[in-house]
Formats: sequence, C-alpha cells, structure tokens
Amino acid sequence: MLKFLLRRILIMIPQLFILSVLIFTLAKAMPGDALSGQLENAHADPKVIAEQRQKLGLDDPIQVQYIRWINHAIHGDLGMSYTHKIPVTDLIGERLWNTLLLAAATLIVSYAIAIPFGVASGRWTNSWLDKWVTCYTYFTYATPLFIFAILMMFLFSFELNLFPSGGSVDPQAVPGTLNYFISKFTHLVLPTLSGALLATSTTIQFLRNEVIDTKIQDFVATARSKGVPESKVYSRHILRNSFLPIAAFLGYDITGLIGGSVFVESIYSYPGLGQLFLDSIQQRDFTVVSALVMISGFAALLGTLLSDIILSAVDPRIRID
Amino acid sequence: MMRLIEPLNTQPVNSEEKSPSALAILGRELVKDKLAMASIIILILLLSTVYITSLVLNQDQIVKIDLLEINAPPSEDHLLGTDQGGRDIFGQLIIGTRNSFSIGFLITLITGIIGLTVGLIAGYFGGIADNIIMRIIDFVLVLPFLMIVIVCATIVPKFNLWTFIFVMSAFLWTGKARLIRSKTLAERELDYVSASKTLGTPNWKIILREVLPNLSSIIIVNLTLNLAGNIGIESGLSFLGFGLPESTPSLGTLISYAQDADTIQNKWWVWVPASVLILVLMLCINFVGQALKRATDARQRKG
Amino acid sequence: MAFLEVKDLKVYYPIRGGFFKRVIDYVKAVDGINIRLEQGETYGLVGESGCGKSTTGRALLKLTKTTSGQVLFNGTDLTSVSAHKMHELRKDIQMIFQDPYSSLNPKKRIVDIIAEPLRNYEHLSRKEENKVAREYMERVGLSSDSIYKYPHEFSGGQRQRIGIARALTLNPKLIVADEPVSALDVSVQAQVLNFMQDIQKEFNLTYLFISHDLGVIRHMCDRIGIMYQGRLVEEGLSRDIYENPQHIYTKRLISAIPNIDPAHREKQSAIRHQINDEYNKSYKNYFDNDGKAYQLKAISPTHFVALP
Repeated sequence: MLKFLLRRILIMIPQLFILSVLIFTLAKAMPGDALSGQLENAHADPKVIAEQRQKLGLDDPIQVQYIRWINHAIHGDLGMSYTHKIPVTDLIGERLWNTLLLAAATLIVSYAIAIPFGVASGRWTNSWLDKWVTCYTYFTYATPLFIFAILMMFLFSFELNLFPSGGSVDPQAVPGTLNYFISKFTHLVLPTLSGALLATSTTIQFLRNEVIDTKIQDFVATARSKGVPESKVYSRHILRNSFLPIAAFLGYDITGLIGGSVFVESIYSYPGLGQLFLDSIQQRDFTVVSALVMISGFAALLGTLLSDIILSAVDPRIRID
Repeated sequence: MMRLIEPLNTQPVNSEEKSPSALAILGRELVKDKLAMASIIILILLLSTVYITSLVLNQDQIVKIDLLEINAPPSEDHLLGTDQGGRDIFGQLIIGTRNSFSIGFLITLITGIIGLTVGLIAGYFGGIADNIIMRIIDFVLVLPFLMIVIVCATIVPKFNLWTFIFVMSAFLWTGKARLIRSKTLAERELDYVSASKTLGTPNWKIILREVLPNLSSIIIVNLTLNLAGNIGIESGLSFLGFGLPESTPSLGTLISYAQDADTIQNKWWVWVPASVLILVLMLCINFVGQALKRATDARQRKG
Repeated sequence: MAFLEVKDLKVYYPIRGGFFKRVIDYVKAVDGINIRLEQGETYGLVGESGCGKSTTGRALLKLTKTTSGQVLFNGTDLTSVSAHKMHELRKDIQMIFQDPYSSLNPKKRIVDIIAEPLRNYEHLSRKEENKVAREYMERVGLSSDSIYKYPHEFSGGQRQRIGIARALTLNPKLIVADEPVSALDVSVQAQVLNFMQDIQKEFNLTYLFISHDLGVIRHMCDRIGIMYQGRLVEEGLSRDIYENPQHIYTKRLISAIPNIDPAHREKQSAIRHQINDEYNKSYKNYFDNDGKAYQLKAISPTHFVALP
C-alpha cells in the first residue's frame, strides 16, 4: 500500500511539471507581463521601461524565467494583480473560502439527494418511484447548468422572491451575528441547489445500476438464504459494495466542480474563484488568471490522487504493487 | 464411418435473407421507444426548419444594430421581439441553433475520429504506445478544461469558428479514446481476433473489419450523448462570452442577456425562447441516446 | 527432416514488481518443450489446466511471443521467419479454437467468416467465394443455404464445425486443435471428434491435439505428450502411456480416469490410494529441487520419461 502511494505520488510530479509548463506558456502568450502590472502610468519613458525589464529579468532566456516563476510559485508568491495592485495570493485568499463553502455544500446536497433515491430506485425497479427518479435523471442529465441556474434564479429569486439573486452575504450584516449567518445561508441556497440538483443524475444512475447488479449476485442470495432480513441485506451487503466507488468519485468530481463554479458564480455574482477568474479575464489581469488555472489544475490533480488512493484502499483488485 | 449431421432448421432458408445486424437492432429498439421516436421527429422537424430558414434569412440584416427597436416586444415586424441591440430574436434563434448544432456536430465528428483512431490503436497493440497514450489522456482529463478554453479564447489573436472547434476538439477527444481503448482491450482477447490472425488477416484489417463492428453500438451511443454535451458546452461558453465572436448570433449569447435583472424579469422574449430551444434540442438528443443505450444493453431491451 | 519440430520452446511472462516495476521474476508457462510430429499423425498434448499446453499451441501459431527456442515447420524456423514468409506459411498451419462462441465474430455472416482466409490469399469473385463457402458448409455437414446467417443462430457444435470449415478453406497441412470439444456437450463431442478424424484422412491433416480429457485423447491420438508445469514429463505412443505409464504424474492422471463398471469401484479406489501414496513418497525421485520435471529419457524407442 505504501509502495502504491509513493508511486502514485511520483506519477504526479511529471504531471505537475507539464501543467506548470503549459500554464507558463499560456501566461507568456498573454498580453502584458509582470511589469505592466507595476507601472503606474502607461506613458512611462521607454528607457525606464527597458531598465525595469532588465531588473525584473524579463529579458532573460525563457528557461531562466520559467525557473524563477516556478520557484516563486512554490514559495507562495504568485505575483501581483494588475488591476487590484495587491498580491494574487491575498486576492485569492478572500474568495477561496467562498468557493470551498459552495463546493462542499454542493457535494453534500447532491449526495444527500442522490444516495437515497439511487438506492430506492435500484431496490424497487419499475415502481412508480423508480420511474419518476429515472425521468428526473433524464431531465437533469440533459439540462445545461447555465440554463438551469438562470431558471432557478428566475423562479425562486425574481418570481417567488424566496432567496437573494446574487452575492454571498448581505453587505449590511455584521459578521458574527445570527443575521450574518442566516444571510450567508440564504445566499448559498440557490447556487448550491443549481449545481447539486444537476450533479445528482450521474450518481443516481450509477447507484441504481450498482444496486440492480449487486442484488442478483450470489453473496446476496447467500445472505438472504441465511435468513438475513431484507433491510439488512441492503444496508450490510448491497450498500457496502455500491458505496465504495461513490466515495471514490469525490476526488474526480473536483474538475467538474471547478467548471461548474465558473458558471454558477458568474450567474449568481457569488464572489468566489470562478467569478474572480472571469473578472480577471475581462480585465486582462493575466497574473491572476494564470495563478487560478494553476491552482485549479493542482486541485484537480490532488483530487484524482485522492480518488485513486480511496479506490485502491477499498478495492484490492485495482491496487498495483 | 457414418457422418453424424445435426438436425438443422427444417424450413427452407431464403438464401438472401439477412439476420438482424446490430444496427438493425438499434433501429428497431428506437422505433419501439415512443419517447425516442417522438424526439427524433421533433429533431427532424426542428433542424430542417432551422437549416432551410437560415438559407433564406439575411444574416447581416439580423446582426445589424437598430437603435430604434431596442428590446421591442414581439410584434408583426419582429416575431419574437428584439434584443438590447434591436436585433431580431427570431432570426438570431434560427442562425444560433444552426451554428450551435453544426459546431456540436463537427466537434463530435472530429473528436470521434481522433478518439476512435487513438483508442483502437492503443487498445489493440498495447505496450509502450498504449502506456504513453494513456498517460497523456489521464493528464488532459484532469486539466481545468473550461478555464483553459476561456484563456485560449482571449489570447488567440483571431479567435473564430475554426480555432474554437480546434481548441474544443483538442480536449474532448480524450474521453472517447479512453472508452474505445478499454473496449478494444477486452475485444482483442477474444478468440475471433486470434482466429483472424491465424487466417492471415493483417492487423489493420482486423481492427477495422473485425473489432470496430463489435464496438459500433457503443460508439453510436457515445457519439449521440456527446453531441448533446458538445452543444451544451458551446452554448455555455457563448453564454459566458467566450464562444463565438460577438457578431455571430448564438443561443448562449441570447440567454446571457438574462443576467441583467431587468431583462430576466420583464423581457422574457429575449432569453426564454433560446433557453427552451436548447433544452428541447438537448433533451431530444439525450432521449435518443438513452434509448440507444438501452438497446445496446440486452437486459433492458423492449424485445 | 521432421514435418514439425519444436526445439526447446520457452514462453516466459515477466512478473513486474518493486518500486520501479522492474522485472523481478518470470512465469514459466512453457519451459523447454521438445516435440516432433510426422505428417498425418495426431499428437496429443495433455495436462491439467495451467500447465502450458494451450500456450504451446498458441506459440506455434505466433499468437504468443516465444521467449526462446525454435519451431521448425518443414525445416523453416517460424520464430525467426520474416513477416512476409510467415504470411505464406500461415496457410499451412491453422487452429481450431476452444470456445465456439468467442471464436466466431458475432457481427459477421457465416459466408464472410468462411471466406475471410480466401480473401487474404486467393482473390476470388463474390460468386466463387460463395460457392466455396457453400461447399465447405456441406463438407462439415451444415446446410449450404445457411451461409447468410449469423453465428448466434447456430448451436455450439454447429459453430465448432463452422470454425473447422474456416480453418479448412486454405487446405492447411497442420491443425492445432486447442481443446476443440471441451466447450461442447458430451453428446456433441463425439460427433465433432469423429468428424475431425474423417477430414484428417480426407485432407491428410496432421493434428496437434490439445486437451485435458484423457478419454478424448485416447480416442484421437497416435502419440501423446504429458505436460506438467511447462515441461513434458512423459511422451510415447498411446499404448505406452495408457498401458505402461512410467512417470508418477502420468500414473496419477491415468488412475483418475473414471471406470464405468461399478464392480470395479473398490479396486479402482484402492489403486488410486496406492498411487497417491506412491506419489507422496516418491515425489522427490521424479522432480528436481525446484519442483520441475527432469529431461526426457528414452526407455524404449517410442517411450520417453522425465527421469533424473
């Protein structure tokens, strides 16, 4: 197991390297550089600019620049934001928590819905419940996130006036008070539901198939013939087998969550990393953009690492030693 | 020695009669599935309307900004009203649907060809090539696809239809390649592949004539579901403002006007038709895809 | 020059392990096999599952990579022959597969399955192809009108005959039959076996017959090789093996053949126990320290046993 872990982490190193080279290349292709982020006025003396470029090492060979860039990144220095004039790390820090909160809420809600419905429709196949659930998964599987989010906003925010349509908290609420907490919660409801309700479909379909496949297997028949009550057959024997892969998909979900957060945060003007990304793109603030891409790529790599570890821990057949 | 002949079907067999092939089975299942049949009919009607009407429509006329007709509600002049630039919504819907579907279709086609080629080769030959290809695929699948496409859309100097299709295809072939590879891997272990080898059939012929037909149903299902997905991704990117250039009408752009509080509440004609159109398109294609998927799974066949 | 001579054939599969997945050991599926076949005879390769008999068969046809050794077919070494020459030689060596279900491509009509080898070697018109396919369908006892059907419309025995028809179209000289009847019902097995004997005479075929079923082997084979863990432990004429087994492993195998007559039940059981005791006691005399069989030694002109 330790060997597997070590090798799996070792595989990540070249992946990280290629990711960083890719982002560095993209960053170099972006107009503007570290200098344009620091100059106060655009009409500075060309001689001063040349001096500054020299000082910042922008005329160095590309590999030297790469090494310097990656060295800084490893030490937590992702450069300065051009528009906000503050270090990118500070800028991200504020919003990281918002995005993490949204992601965690989305995951929890989607599993809280998907697990009971997936299991129930697999257990009672062709019941009316199963038919409704299947219908629901067909619709949610086909619906694009941005349309669904707009519809949710239109319905629950503008028509029914139940939840706010944007932001992460009421700006007048005082941090620490109950009001603040409630405001934070109500602002979270719609973005969370938009993402979560659509994310359930694959999990439900997967669980349903798993349960259908497992319930006809010999070990389940054995359990039944031993006199294990039906509810226990499900809780002890079938679910244990079906849940493990679900748990492991958590890590793979991260790539999807990052993509989803761009849409959801943009629609609900939720101040997270996704919105920061779009804003920075629009303002051509490319230090922030490349930092965000790097962070997302890193998070996704970590996620697959996590998933692989969980999967190999629960399923010895996958483990390669 | 007496030859033992097993009794065969006694009724005479028409020599040209063909048994149902995989495609015929898929077709039969589709016809039996009422929802899928309805979806196909809707799709055919919708798409033929769109493609025929778009031939008649004058695109320059539609995208021209008309300041006198800003956000006009539906009227005789403008069947579905106009948007914030005074552009005719109905015309934009037609051209937008045509663009979305054509782009989705092209991306599906391109990624299908790449994914199929790479997947078949990696799965059939295995070895080092397979190892390297799988590493690449695993890596690309992890990349924050949406973000990188958006970055590309902003930094590529002349971002047009073709660069868009190229960037999308560069990422989206991987899922297909992985699926095809794993199926090919399973298929090549079967004895009919060994038999073809002993019969002197060259590898490329085994891949194309023996293995590929056995993957056909999986490929068709995957391509259908992917078509819907790709239309969704295209309209989603246009929605964010990073799809097609602004001058090109797009369903996503129309929906993006709904991000304005006034439009979403009071000017339904701007964003609702486009949303409904995308939903109908995606649902119909998905229903067909799901029906095909059931058809390939003998357990779920309707008989 | 022998018709087919297998010289010191080895097929090893690497076991990878350790941190860098280096090769740390090998699975020795076939570990130095020597076989000679004369034209027109049937040679039986017997052994328990996993002993390497199927791997040997597949290695002859280059379906599995050989690690070392030679396969001389009419004097040409198949392991080192050029791809072009191999393509020509494939006509002469064909295979009948164990599983009649997976060995026929479910997506192809019978006519396309039978004509596949013809399309690779002889360029016939559609009409001629159909004619040949019909001919061979009738040769294997199936209706020539069913060539437009798909494999799933046939029973296991019929499918196996189609597999045989396909192998016959190129007029091969050697057929490797890898457990050709073990997937079939016992009632159908006899039909297929008798049929194989018929066509052997008709086409002057040489069979390498691989099976774990000693009854089938005795029915079919002129000479027999007993395989155990990648090596031959005994080889000889059918008579030598069945009436005078010398190696302890062969004795055990032969004693395990069921006897239908209930009157012999006690006797049979006693023999089995006796041989089992002998096996446990004298194991060391028949296998070296690694548990491998020794090299074959002649105890009569036709009979070879692996002894120290």
